[in-house]
Amino acid sequence: MDLQSNAETEVLVEKRPLPTQPPMPVSNRKALWRTVFREDRFFLVLSVFIGIFSGLSVVCFRFAIDWARLYLLGTGTVLSTSRLLLAPSLAGLVIAFLVIHFFPATRGSGVNQTKAALYIYNGHIPFRTAIGKFITAALAIGSGHSLGPEDPSLQIGACLASVLGRKMRLSRDRMRLIAPVGAAAGLAAAFNAPISAVLFVIEEVIGRWTAGILGSVVLSAVSSVVVMRWFLGSESLFRIPAVELKRPSELLAYAILGVAGGLASVAFSSGITTLRPWCKSLPRWTQYFQPAVAGLLIGVIAILGFPQVMGAGYEYMDQAMHGQFTWQFLAMLAVLKIIATLLSFTSGTPGGMFAPTLFIGAMLGAAVGGAQHALLPHLTGSPGTYALVGMGVLFAGFLRAPMTSVFMVLEVSGNYSIIVPVIVANTFAYVIARGLQPIAIFDLLTRQDGLDLPSMEEQREEDVLHVEDAMQAVEDPVLDAQETVDQALQQAGRAESDQLLVRLSPSGWSTVTKQELESMAAQGKGAANLGSLLPILHVPYLHPDHPLETALRYVDRWPLVPVVSRADFRQLEGIVSQRHVLDRYREFGEG
Amino acid sequence: MAERRHFNVRYYLRQQPVMLAMLSAALVVFFLFVTGLSQVYHAQRQALGNRWFNRGVADLNSKNFAAAVTEFRTAMLYSRDDYQYQLSLAQALIGMNHGGEASAYLRNLWDREPEDGLVNLELARIAAQQRQTKEAVRYYHDAVYAAWPADQESTRRDARFELIELLLKIGDKAQAQAELIALSENVGDDPTQQERIGDLFLRAQDYDHALAAYRVSLKSDRHNEADLAGAGYAAFQLGQYSLAEHYLEAAVAYDAKDTQSADRLKMTEMVLHMDPFRRQLSASERSKVVVEAFTTAGQRLKACAVPKSASPQGGTAQTSLADEWAAMKPKMTETRLRENPDLVDSAMDLVFRIERQTSILCGSPTGPDMALLLIAKSQGS
Repeated sequence: MDLQSNAETEVLVEKRPLPTQPPMPVSNRKALWRTVFREDRFFLVLSVFIGIFSGLSVVCFRFAIDWARLYLLGTGTVLSTSRLLLAPSLAGLVIAFLVIHFFPATRGSGVNQTKAALYIYNGHIPFRTAIGKFITAALAIGSGHSLGPEDPSLQIGACLASVLGRKMRLSRDRMRLIAPVGAAAGLAAAFNAPISAVLFVIEEVIGRWTAGILGSVVLSAVSSVVVMRWFLGSESLFRIPAVELKRPSELLAYAILGVAGGLASVAFSSGITTLRPWCKSLPRWTQYFQPAVAGLLIGVIAILGFPQVMGAGYEYMDQAMHGQFTWQFLAMLAVLKIIATLLSFTSGTPGGMFAPTLFIGAMLGAAVGGAQHALLPHLTGSPGTYALVGMGVLFAGFLRAPMTSVFMVLEVSGNYSIIVPVIVANTFAYVIARGLQPIAIFDLLTRQDGLDLPSMEEQREEDVLHVEDAMQAVEDPVLDAQETVDQALQQAGRAESDQLLVRLSPSGWSTVTKQELESMAAQGKGAANLGSLLPILHVPYLHPDHPLETALRYVDRWPLVPVVSRADFRQLEGIVSQRHVLDRYREFGEG
Repeated sequence: MAERRHFNVRYYLRQQPVMLAMLSAALVVFFLFVTGLSQVYHAQRQALGNRWFNRGVADLNSKNFAAAVTEFRTAMLYSRDDYQYQLSLAQALIGMNHGGEASAYLRNLWDREPEDGLVNLELARIAAQQRQTKEAVRYYHDAVYAAWPADQESTRRDARFELIELLLKIGDKAQAQAELIALSENVGDDPTQQERIGDLFLRAQDYDHALAAYRVSLKSDRHNEADLAGAGYAAFQLGQYSLAEHYLEAAVAYDAKDTQSADRLKMTEMVLHMDPFRRQLSASERSKVVVEAFTTAGQRLKACAVPKSASPQGGTAQTSLADEWAAMKPKMTETRLRENPDLVDSAMDLVFRIERQTSILCGSPTGPDMALLLIAKSQGS
């Protein structure tokens, strides 16, 4: 019966003509339009488009590099002497011409350019930069210059995002954030590692975690990786060796690797910061030949028996992880790769530092692991594990991205048992590198270029003043709202300052001056409760661990701000005033 | 009017949904472009990979391992994940004795196809080389029961032979015997395989099965000197001396250079000659043999005299045996032995005890003493 009645009702409902809606007023339609296409939602949708565009561009970039390598260096792994010498040097001449005349913004790695877009140019990166970076970097890496494809991919992604943002007429705030979104997409596709890309962009480019930007960065990174895997497969950059930690004492060996990595990082970054200004200071005409000379010297290194230093070198990192080289040869490769990358990078050839950093780290790690294995075969595991950890070590020491370095190794290896050695080694490398060279490489390069971009590392390491640093002990009596005005006046007589704090009931704080109390008493309100006479607006309170800048929001409006315990808001820990805060800042500024 | 229309078009083009639609269209075009590019790229890489792979295979077949490794590596540059490239590279690396690196490739392949017979077999060989016997045995077993692309029976059999060789090498005879029994049931009457199995059974000290295997092999070629020698040795070890004599005589007749079989034949004949318990022996002949054995044992006892100070326990036992021998000596005449058959047993019991004791103190005997010791063993006393 019920079923039947329900069916009848449905039929009735179906047959009933739909009520005609009155036409929506234009203003309502606009409001709905604005709600559906709110800028933050639109930004998320756009992030997916950015990711897909960046992924497709990076795939094309990979094709371009491989084709350049194929046609410039040949199809085999054993390369002819003439090609080894001619390919990088002739490509260097072409690259120099293109960079000087058409694409001056494509020099270097691309990370700083993306940061500059965020902090200086309101997210604006010219489309020409992406075109230039694509051509020159593909030519450089494909011809054997010791550079990698990751940073150019990052810049190409950022540039595409900037173009799309401009076309979509995003607001200035969104435009500023769009370059890092594209950067994450480009880097994720190049690395095939979305987590590391997101972390790197947050850690090194944006420098802060906010929900709004994180969603967009993650969406773009994931969509670009999906596209990249669609076309190039999901295989990781290396075949990961069996990871083993033989015994806890082996961590000492990883600490040694960390120390070696820290020193190598300092040597590498010192080389760049010394050689780069020197190359720039040479007469302008030499800039046409600098990449060619760098290429020629790299060719000579290859002819001398070390062709592994050419290009990004991922296949050789893979071989190092599987014990194909002796530890002496690996150590030699690490040193020569530093030299080759110095030559390529400081000559102004466009290309990235990520792959060379990983290469040097892998070779150094495998060399240290191999040497230790030769000396103490029962104590240390396979050199392959050391190579993997070594990559993270250089990432932490040279690029100064400690979080990314740990997650990158985890993501690339897919093995969480490696986390302890990675953390140990990276910590040593980071601390040593930071101790010997306090300014990170990207910040040094920025300063050499005459820009003043915020240093994420300095921001991270910066001392932050807290309310407790400026807080003073309460010496004057604290009045209670339950007291009468006469009782309060009596207590106020013992106070040194004019302003007195009043503890309200059941919670909250207020202030009162001696004059106000006297005036209340003179008006015949001496027997009234103090709380009933005080203004409704309460004094805000702070906690000792609040940043001191939080206090600045209140101290100009309130002569005394109570600092209370987080466990009991009525328990007074101290007070701050404008004078206390400014004095503390002055002392801090004077060092 | 035209200006107004132009303004309207521009207005609508600037609307976000329109822009998103245009962006999607651009994306589709870009995607199709990259798809086309990708097909060209992958086709080119596949062709290059195949070219280098074929060169590598040619070098691998001519055992030019170093060149093969370089060529397979180049092939893998174009298709790193190709199963066949990796397998061939691993084989070339094994040829160059780079077991560690080969095993990294093979493990990778094993993860993808754990039932690939060749991968399991190569991993077993590497593990065996690296003396990781447990792993080696596991991989060999997997190889035996794995899928093989062609000629499954013979490849499985060869894998099992390798496994048995390994088990014998590490001294796991019981496991080797079990594998051999399983194998012998699978090879049928193939004389070559049966001969090989017989040899392995001999090494595993399973003489019964060894003899059976040689007999099967001899059915096809009864003049096969190796089978005859093996069967003779198995029968000799089983204490079947008449049978051993039969096979060993034939083996020596067909291969005069087989000195081992000749020596064994000599010993077999001696055993048969000196055994007083053999059938169809007359009483007088038995008495003669016993006297001869008793004399031989006495000489051995004398030759193996050990001072008491050197080995107090052995010395005491030997003295007691010498006393017994001396006490029995007067009774050891052919007449008395013929008259008293119990005396034959007690005399031979003493002979066997002397031979056993002296073999402990003075090492393994030779000649007639060895024959007496073997008779003692076959009698189980």
